[in-house]
Amino acid sequence: MKVPLNWLNKLVEVPKDVKKLTSDLTMVGHMLDKIETKNSETILDLELRGNRADCYSILGIAREVSAIYKTKLKNIPIITVKKIKELKNINLDIQTPLVKRVGMIEIKNIKITKSPKWLSDKLIAYGLESKNNIVDLTNYVMIETGEPMHAFDLDKIGNSLEIRLAKDGEKIITFMDANITLTKDDLVWTKGNEILSVAGSIGEKYHSIVSDTKNILLEAANYDRANIRKTVYRHNLLTDAGIRHEKELDPNMVDFAISRFLYFVKKYNWGEFTPEMYDYYPKEIKPWKVHLDFAYLNNFSGLTLNFNEIKNILLNLQFEIIKKDKLGIDVLVPTHRTDVTLEEDLIEEIVRIYGYDKIPTKTLSLEIPKNITPNYIIQEDKLRQSAISVGFDENISLSFVREKYKDTNVTIINPPSPDTKYLRNSLFPNLLDSAKKIVNERGEFVQLFEIGKIYFKEKNNYIEKRKIGFIYWSKEKNSFSDFKSLILTFFNKIDIKNPDYVSEILNFNFTNSYILKLNNNQVGFGGMHDFLYYVEIDLDSILGKENKYKINLWVKFPPQIEDLTLIIPEKTYIGEIIHSIKQTNKYINDVELEDIFENSYTFRIWYQHPDKTLVDKEVEKIRNEIIMTLKQKFGITIKN
Amino acid sequence: MKEDIINSKNQAIAQINEIDNLNDLEQIRIELFGRNGKITNTTKELKNLSDEDKKQIGILINEVKNTLEKVIADKKNDLKVNFREWFDPTIPVKIKKVGHLHPTSIVILEMTEIFKNLGFSIMEGPEIESDHYNFELLNLPKDHPARSLQDVLYIEEPETLLRSHTSSVETRSIEKLKPPFRVVVAGKCYRFENVNASNNAMFYQFQGFALQKGISMTDLKGTLFSFVKSYFGEERKIRFRCKYYPEVEPGVGLDIDCKFCDQKGCSVCKGRGWIEMLGAGMIHPQILKNFGYNPKKISGFAFGMGLDRIVMDRFKINDIRSLYNGDIRY
Repeated sequence: MKVPLNWLNKLVEVPKDVKKLTSDLTMVGHMLDKIETKNSETILDLELRGNRADCYSILGIAREVSAIYKTKLKNIPIITVKKIKELKNINLDIQTPLVKRVGMIEIKNIKITKSPKWLSDKLIAYGLESKNNIVDLTNYVMIETGEPMHAFDLDKIGNSLEIRLAKDGEKIITFMDANITLTKDDLVWTKGNEILSVAGSIGEKYHSIVSDTKNILLEAANYDRANIRKTVYRHNLLTDAGIRHEKELDPNMVDFAISRFLYFVKKYNWGEFTPEMYDYYPKEIKPWKVHLDFAYLNNFSGLTLNFNEIKNILLNLQFEIIKKDKLGIDVLVPTHRTDVTLEEDLIEEIVRIYGYDKIPTKTLSLEIPKNITPNYIIQEDKLRQSAISVGFDENISLSFVREKYKDTNVTIINPPSPDTKYLRNSLFPNLLDSAKKIVNERGEFVQLFEIGKIYFKEKNNYIEKRKIGFIYWSKEKNSFSDFKSLILTFFNKIDIKNPDYVSEILNFNFTNSYILKLNNNQVGFGGMHDFLYYVEIDLDSILGKENKYKINLWVKFPPQIEDLTLIIPEKTYIGEIIHSIKQTNKYINDVELEDIFENSYTFRIWYQHPDKTLVDKEVEKIRNEIIMTLKQKFGITIKN
Repeated sequence: MKEDIINSKNQAIAQINEIDNLNDLEQIRIELFGRNGKITNTTKELKNLSDEDKKQIGILINEVKNTLEKVIADKKNDLKVNFREWFDPTIPVKIKKVGHLHPTSIVILEMTEIFKNLGFSIMEGPEIESDHYNFELLNLPKDHPARSLQDVLYIEEPETLLRSHTSSVETRSIEKLKPPFRVVVAGKCYRFENVNASNNAMFYQFQGFALQKGISMTDLKGTLFSFVKSYFGEERKIRFRCKYYPEVEPGVGLDIDCKFCDQKGCSVCKGRGWIEMLGAGMIHPQILKNFGYNPKKISGFAFGMGLDRIVMDRFKINDIRSLYNGDIRY
């Protein structure tokens, strides 16, 4: 909201120190966005937050200034009108409850002229163009009082008007020359089938006033806010009227605004009127009661306020106290404060004027609640630390993937750009993009990981799964082994036993693909794409699979260690051979692949008994078991 | 015998002078003072001498012993300094690869740590949300004017959307948890934004809320001051002011002094001298009622802040897009 200081000063005494004024306004809830200077006039731009419809006006800001500095509002001259239920020549038909109040008055023999300088200057300072005296005056009164108003050309609108919901497909050309096709939810002013204006936001072109207009019908109204808001957003009608009517305006401003308008018409002799306003106001809004409990105020705010302080603040805000006892008061809220309906709202009013800076600072002195952080959140932290400890840098990417990677059934229906349309179904595409960037830049090696969610739809449910993805690339030849070694080191670090790598063809664009299994359950997958290696692990599948941390002491009896060189047929999985060897006998403590030469593989085997030193004979027996098993299972023979 | 001893001494001193390494020196020390060393053996022979000689030779041996020990010790120090083997600690090496956390993760970890010490637990929630948890339960009914502050990305209009703030975790937590509790949440949020250097369709929020009998605005102020001072520095100035958010009543805005201009006003703070840091307030009574609580019997506070700007400021990143598009080089 733009507030030219000269204008504000007409309604309330404004402190000379602008910096202090803006700082005080900011403290009570109207943050200074910026200060502008236009034609040597200072204009405050305040950020308003939507709940204070009354502050979309100079008057509203003046009330705030008056409450902050405990000064009186200056008198605003008006011409008081008599309210009448019928106009002589015009009939207005309203069937919908969406209209809360309408005030109308005919003004005859209008003199349309250029605006006087004081008027056009004020509008220009606010940021509106000057058109002519009458249009400018409607804008002036709207900015000053917050109540939008509209002037029709009385000679064009006939004598039978209606405010109703439009029919689907009805059209209007606005005075801004925009074509709008209306829907059955839009509220409009009509003359038979002709639309005169979209209620609360914009007038139709033909029926608006022009330079040779002779007589006008001036209206100010109050509508159902939510309905106007829908219309305003549906047709992009964020006009000065629209942004006010979509908020909770005070219907009692209708006659005040018209009275203010008439004051200027009379003063400058711009037209003739009888001070009688047609008033449709089926349900008059009167100040409402809110109770305030002193103890609640003090406990809730942490302040200790006495009755006099409370009273002065409320009276300066134009609230009225109608009843008081030891424990609390009943307060009447002025109707322009449509935002104050609850006791807590009242507390905010008192505390903000008293000063948020006076609230004492006390760190939570209450009992400390128990820690309820779920395990899976602790797990993520641990995984993150473990991944970096084995050399992977963390990547965080958008949850969207580019169109070329879309492999998803979750899409955004209103994406601001094509790149924010598809939600990812794997961490791979974005990690791939990041990895390629590094390959192209430096080209030594890439080690990235990401922890994040993937999204998919299953049986009408949207599912989010937490994953960790690792991507790896290196110039070295044995890249897969190096990558696998890092992944297993990672598993070691997070205290989960090594997963089984099971070769499997996957849907993805991977070659050399496989799945990872723990206790025969799939926990992840991996593969190669463009010589980059990738593994993705499902976090919930490994959650809680950690080994309990326990200490193993060195066994007192030394192991017997020997190397066995085996001749292995082609396409035999080495992992399965090692697994078989370990299964053969419980005194086989460990098996490692030592060396490969052509089809000869040398394995190092540790034989160890927990309670004694194994003798050669015992070892020989176990060795024979191994050879037997391998021969039967894989057709493996022992060399020499 | 006297002469033998003096000869041995002179011989030993001559030998020691020639020596150029510690091993040889140790060898000589053993030859002299070892179990079968010259001096040791001479001492053993003392018992065969007359009392008079025993006394005289004894004194001599002691002198020789002290002299030789001193000569050996001096030589040892000398060797350590002058005859050190060549060793170059400046030799360049390859550093073992360790990974690094993403700047956003670092900030989340640091902030979470501060709140853990204030008795907060950590929670999380879905990113694909319903209008119900994201808006309705937060006192933001459809067509509420404050909804225009948050244009959301829809998956199915109007009910299924990407959460526009982490406040959805607040509603889910109030529904699920039993007070008293204090919770912080950090996570991805989404808004309808055209992507440029300062706006992204995805951003991180850090949110906290507490629900407990007796919580007041002073607790909120104290908690936030304590956090801001520990995170941004004890010397920072804080402005605690009134600001409207539909989810809270009374509402609070918290600013910290702009250190780019020492509060004189610059382009970073838009001439205000203050930087908006977070929004907060006492949980709106309507929200408490939505979950069956009596606002007069239990109260709570909530606060939230955007993380990306804090991360960018901390790590001197100018373009918000760089945070999440793989541009960060470790």
